[in-house]
Amino acid sequence: MTYDVVVIGAGLAGLASALRLADEGLHVLVVAKGVGGTHLAPATIDVLGYADGRVESPARALPEFVAAHPEHPYGRVSVELIRASLEWIRERLDGLGYRGGLEENVLLPTAVGVAKPTALVPQTMAAGDLRAGGRFVFVGLGGLKDFYPAYLAENLARAELPNGASVSARALELGLPLGREGDVSGTGFARRFEQSAFRDQVVRGLEQRLVPGEIVGFPAVLGFRHAQEVWQELETRLRHPVFEVPTLPPSVGGIRVFERLTAALRRKGARVVVGTTVSGSEHNRKTLEGVVTQTAGRPRTYRARSFVLASGGFASGGLQMDSYGRVRETAFELALAGLPAPGGQRFEPGYFDEQPLDGAGLAVDDALRPLDPAGAPAFENLHAAGATLAGATPWREASGNGISLATGYAAASAILERMS
Amino acid sequence: MPALETEVLVVGGGSTGVGVVRDAAMRGLSTVLVERGDLAVGTTGRFHGLLHSGGRYAVKDPLAAVECVAENAILRRTAADCIEDTGGLFVTTKWDDPAFGDEFERGCRDTGVPVEEIPVKEALALEPRLDRSISRAFAVPDASLDPWKLVSGCARSAREHGARILPYHRVLELERRSGRVLGARVESALTGDEVRIRANVVVNAAGAWAGQIAELAGCKVTILPGKGIMIAMNHRLVNTVVNRCKPPADGDIIVPIRTVSVIGTTDTRVAHPDELEVSQQEIDEMLDEGEKLVPGFREARALRVWAGARPLFSAEDVSDTREVSRSHALLDHAERDGVEGLITITGGKTTTFRLMAEAAVDAVCAHLGVDRPCRTHEEPLPGSEEGRFYWLGSRVQAQEPVPRSEEIICECELITRDRLKAAMVTRPTTNLDDIRRMLRLGMGPCQGGFCIYRATGMLHKYERLDSRAANASLLDFLQERWKGVHPILHGDQLRQASLDDWIFQGLLAVQHLPE
Repeated sequence: MTYDVVVIGAGLAGLASALRLADEGLHVLVVAKGVGGTHLAPATIDVLGYADGRVESPARALPEFVAAHPEHPYGRVSVELIRASLEWIRERLDGLGYRGGLEENVLLPTAVGVAKPTALVPQTMAAGDLRAGGRFVFVGLGGLKDFYPAYLAENLARAELPNGASVSARALELGLPLGREGDVSGTGFARRFEQSAFRDQVVRGLEQRLVPGEIVGFPAVLGFRHAQEVWQELETRLRHPVFEVPTLPPSVGGIRVFERLTAALRRKGARVVVGTTVSGSEHNRKTLEGVVTQTAGRPRTYRARSFVLASGGFASGGLQMDSYGRVRETAFELALAGLPAPGGQRFEPGYFDEQPLDGAGLAVDDALRPLDPAGAPAFENLHAAGATLAGATPWREASGNGISLATGYAAASAILERMS
Repeated sequence: MPALETEVLVVGGGSTGVGVVRDAAMRGLSTVLVERGDLAVGTTGRFHGLLHSGGRYAVKDPLAAVECVAENAILRRTAADCIEDTGGLFVTTKWDDPAFGDEFERGCRDTGVPVEEIPVKEALALEPRLDRSISRAFAVPDASLDPWKLVSGCARSAREHGARILPYHRVLELERRSGRVLGARVESALTGDEVRIRANVVVNAAGAWAGQIAELAGCKVTILPGKGIMIAMNHRLVNTVVNRCKPPADGDIIVPIRTVSVIGTTDTRVAHPDELEVSQQEIDEMLDEGEKLVPGFREARALRVWAGARPLFSAEDVSDTREVSRSHALLDHAERDGVEGLITITGGKTTTFRLMAEAAVDAVCAHLGVDRPCRTHEEPLPGSEEGRFYWLGSRVQAQEPVPRSEEIICECELITRDRLKAAMVTRPTTNLDDIRRMLRLGMGPCQGGFCIYRATGMLHKYERLDSRAANASLLDFLQERWKGVHPILHGDQLRQASLDDWIFQGLLAVQHLPE
């Protein structure tokens, strides 16, 4: 069987690309080695948080940023396209109630109390917006080792906010019955929050302890599928604004995104196969015809008319470096850009320094097709998206999900354009 | 300025220093130990963890071999909890001269190292990852030794015998009058307070730093710091200490210790024991040597690289530091330099630390005119009374009877919240790197990716640290970690490090923490 499109990778870039294509009636297969960055990153869509200092408006900052970083993935897509991708995801994930946009970054507290800029935030996190200041209280859940509200609050109280806004922040610890289990993960708490008896305990434990006017921050573990209802119920019963603060992976908020996107894909007739590694290709000159995957027992080839490579960067295994310093793209052995000189220094001694390997990845044309060493598309029907692209340091720019979403969306657009 | 009075002041908190202070305290002497940093941050905490059988020195340095034989047997009796009885192998690879095996076996017999040549097939059955083409194999009683446990056990025992142990106290001055050392003026690195310590005898046990301490008394002691690099590999690539059967050289030992294995080492003379850079070339050579013993070594996951400085004492100048005897040096500066009240004990190696301490305290007793016998070869360290060796499953075993009753803060090393909390409140500092050494926090495959945010939150909560100090502790840890991981980042460990970048710089944005 031949698919219209095979997408490699199930992070935000791969899933967004696949869903956009499936929405247009194309027959899509997603193959992935494992779940992707959704389970690691918070559910916010950061487009550009830091350039020279904190970015207030991505829309205003992007033209200059792209001019200064011509190799950046944002250099391959227009600001209009980025805006369109945000609008698209907001509609496509309407159950998560995303708000914000490209004009003004929201400032949300991280789990160490940094006011971090982001473009689009799910409704359950929106009340954490720090831009206008306010009185915040952060709730620690006894037995959750991944959240330290007093530490967060103390740092946050010193955060620099725009227009002289200021926050006051304090912490509360809530002891909760966890049964016989002593080591409950964030996902374990998320399951408990979906139970009304557990929520009763939370509300009872908090209602006498809140000060009027306080905005209440929880770790981002307020349920999976029913997170909106959980959040709504807490706001209603506590009669305070409530929001979530993302903490260590696995990201409960990101899992909600993954679940919704894959469910939507399946409804559109797409297949999602997780647990499969792409190990080679079949091609005819410049046309990619199939990808060879390693599944249980034997290799298997999936054929398609177009392909999207969204296998991620070093963190996801889309890029690898061996002990001799040789870097490779693992699915197709594509040519790479942004590498340190052979024999040159791979890393700088300061952890927060810019690292020579930072921008490594695939150079692409304006249709996001990876280029061969001569600068021509490696395959006329292969497009790349997300963290596998060269030229970005998304963890430092606060641009990860933005790049993934915009380039995933753009790769789909390029395919649709060529097919029409 | 506050003052302390003691019979013996020991300078240096490595294995030698704590060995001396314990021995002296057990002989009933009043003792104080000062160390500029935490205990075991110097050479002791940076060695490969090999408890020598003596085999490595059997041909080249028979005196060192004889000492190792005796001390190996004593430590097995007295410090069992610090030792994993892995056994050791010397194997002849295709790069080694097979005839050296005969010389090696003869050397072992002459120096008393228990040795037995075993069939290659048996060695390969024992260590299936070894290169299949090895031609000879000898079994010896090498073992792995946990340096932190050893040092903390000695310190605890010394305290129980009345010693005062002062980590984070740097010697500013050795106070002298008419050719006699009267004690030291020391400064607390934590508070900046100065303390004057009056002592009848000062023992300089500063190891690779002994030259600097002796200089404070106007004595010249030449130490040749020999830099050795080591790489910790994730997983136990071998379960037995594996040595190449050839004259000692670089990268010819792999020591399984806890959940990792450590390959070592090199030997390069450096100007100063605090300056231990590791070059890409040194790492590549080490990985290539590892490949000769365990094919596929370069594809295995390398966790961390570090370097230690051997304190090799030399009476004259020597260029290749491996040519200097590994046996120790005891210097009585009264005889040597006309300076009374100062003894230097240096050289040697962790395996013989107890013997060195005994020699030093014998000299102290002679100086004080007392005759009290050493007992450290008989009395076990706290925790080792039952003579049971450490084994890899012990943390899991401790966890099993109470399944999931407690939060595991560091999943790689199975460190629970209570255990970490206890370590935090008993340590004199809030340095996460010190806690790392003590508990092995963040030493596993994720190198602190998950536990260090938790540990920082706990420092803030239980140590009542303000957020600025907690932030500093977090950022220091990340920088120290980077120092140890960036030179060997590749393969899956680079993948792990990238995930950690996403966590610390992306999710938490720690680089933007407020001032």
